[in-house]
Amino acid sequence: MHWRNLRHRTAQTILAIAAIAVAVALPVVLLSVGGGVYSHELASVQDAGFSISVDSAADHGIADAHSLARQIDAISGVAAASPILSVAVVLFTANGTGIPVLAEGVIPTAFSATQSSAERALLPPSFTLGDPDDTIHFANGTYGGPASGQVLLSTPLLQTLNLSSGASATLSPTTNRSAGVGVTVVGSFGLPPGLLGPSALFVALMPLSQLQSLVGLGRSTTGALLDDADSVQVAVVPALAGNPAAVARITAEVQALVPYYSVTSLTQQTSEIRAAQAVITGFYVGLSSVGLVVSLLFLVIILMRRVEQERSAIGIQRAIGVPAWRVSRGLLLEAEALTLCGGLSGVAGGILVISLLARWGSPTVSEIAGLATYDPVTLAGLVLGLLLMGLVASLLPVRRALNLPLPEVLR
Amino acid sequence: MTSEPTVRLESVRRVYHAGGPDEVRALDGVSLTIAPGEYLSVEGPSGSGKTTLLNLLGLLDVPTEGRMLWRGTPVERLGERDRTRLRRTGIGFIFQRFYLLPTLTALENVALPLLAGGLPARERETRARMLLAQVGLADRERSFPHQLSGGEEQRVAIARALANGPQLLLADEPTGELDSTRAGQVLDLLEAAHRDTGAAVVVVTHNPTVASRADRHLVMRDGRVVSDTAGR
Ligand SMILES: Nc1ncnc2c1ncn2[C@@H]1O[C@H](COP(=O)(O)OP(=O)(O)OP(=O)(O)O)[C@@H](O)[C@H]1O
Ligand SMILES: [Mg+2]
Repeated sequence: MHWRNLRHRTAQTILAIAAIAVAVALPVVLLSVGGGVYSHELASVQDAGFSISVDSAADHGIADAHSLARQIDAISGVAAASPILSVAVVLFTANGTGIPVLAEGVIPTAFSATQSSAERALLPPSFTLGDPDDTIHFANGTYGGPASGQVLLSTPLLQTLNLSSGASATLSPTTNRSAGVGVTVVGSFGLPPGLLGPSALFVALMPLSQLQSLVGLGRSTTGALLDDADSVQVAVVPALAGNPAAVARITAEVQALVPYYSVTSLTQQTSEIRAAQAVITGFYVGLSSVGLVVSLLFLVIILMRRVEQERSAIGIQRAIGVPAWRVSRGLLLEAEALTLCGGLSGVAGGILVISLLARWGSPTVSEIAGLATYDPVTLAGLVLGLLLMGLVASLLPVRRALNLPLPEVLR
Repeated sequence: MTSEPTVRLESVRRVYHAGGPDEVRALDGVSLTIAPGEYLSVEGPSGSGKTTLLNLLGLLDVPTEGRMLWRGTPVERLGERDRTRLRRTGIGFIFQRFYLLPTLTALENVALPLLAGGLPARERETRARMLLAQVGLADRERSFPHQLSGGEEQRVAIARALANGPQLLLADEPTGELDSTRAGQVLDLLEAAHRDTGAAVVVVTHNPTVASRADRHLVMRDGRVVSDTAGR
């Protein structure tokens, strides 16, 4: 019977469904896009290839990087410890002018072991830079061994300079070419899209000790050993990577070695991201519930109106003894039909909006929209919540319908 | 207890806005016994309390004062749920303004009181069809009320009132909106139902022709029964 009622009041029905659909589309968009962005962030953190990061507040503030890396390496459960130094330098081609590049000093094998699988795929297969463990030139802190002089350049840099493997170049800490050292380009590596901004497309990878001595971070002017780096990234053995307790234990052991540096595990970062996600999800839900409450009120008003319009029909049914539950069921089913239609069109509309944004939005919007994930549990929960809302919305109208004064209604 | 009255009213009052400045004594001390199978007419000027009386008899309303027994049971002991059940199983209503549900077909309107009775759908339909045939509308079962004439609508309403085999049929001006030919048909049906089912019938009317079909005639004035006579 309620179906015929719905058809008899097309305008009201469409309005109610539209109001609910709009109210539902908002949380669908917010939660799907928000959830997508967070799970993307989580995935990139979890796939980082390293689990623990040692950082210092100061620039290039980690001293004795080589020996620290060896000490961390000796902790049980650690797969690799990779010190990294990043300094802006100037690269001169044989006959060209200087071009600023970001030089990354690394220990090749350790660096490779702390990359995510995606990043590792961008590096040349056997990645040694002529000194796999950076021990030859470093020579136990004397910086006296022979330097390999090999560098890897990022693909954009290689293309811009029109260089190929085997070419010679000069790296200088300043714009003064004569302050530099000669290097050989032995290959290139790709950059993961979106990892570094467009400003950091020009990168040169070289053995840590060579960069340290080039920029004066190997030994001080007085000859004291510096061996500076920016951070040490620590990978745990694969069997322990997914085990928060083991990672926490290793983190604590690293922290005990270097109480003055900050040691963070990615599980910490992960839980921070999760906490942030919970907060923002709560915010989204709160924001959306405003719309949902408004549409709930709208639904109540529409159902109340319907009770008024159907006063005599309800009155007749009550008069001829149609049981109260059957009269209420009509209203309840009507409310549920409206919320179900509204909810499903809202979910569909939200998904449509996201895919339109992903397709036609500005680059940033479209990138974010492209990350959206549709959690079936959340969406089903939303629709279930709506059905519950329909139940609540029909309470007052049902009460009104059952309390209609029959003699007056049938007058 | 076969001789138990269908309904019994003892000094029943129905007062609207009791105690207020606009107090209305719609029924002011009515005592009345309706035996099974009786056919009563109720006449009286407008506002004399006829509809109020019918609403009480039909358990749509409850007395403000006095005692009312429905087949021996005091109505004040009945809850809303019991009264709803009795309205469905024991009472048939026929209203002046027909009051069919506009979104239901003739057949569905007739089957409405059967819905809660636990009958399987097929039997409900068969019974509703039979009732429609009794009132001469076998060929209109799929019509909606707005597709029926007033007389036809009222016949559907009679079929619906008879659906559960009531002990009491109540009709408030059942022919008030019909011309005399159609009114005659409706009265014939009412009479046939009275004869065939043995239900007590109470017809409220302003029309002496309608009243003349009854065996017992009440006249009301100012909320009281001022005359109660038997005979055609
Ligand atoms: N809900 C109400 N509130 C106040 N007064 C009412 C109400 N219902 C009926 N009355 C009054 O009760 C009195 C009896 O009304 P009732 O409807 O029983 O009269 P009636 O005999 O059926 O009249 P009619 O022949 O016009 O149908 C009238 O004075 C009416 O105004
Ligand atoms: Mg009346």
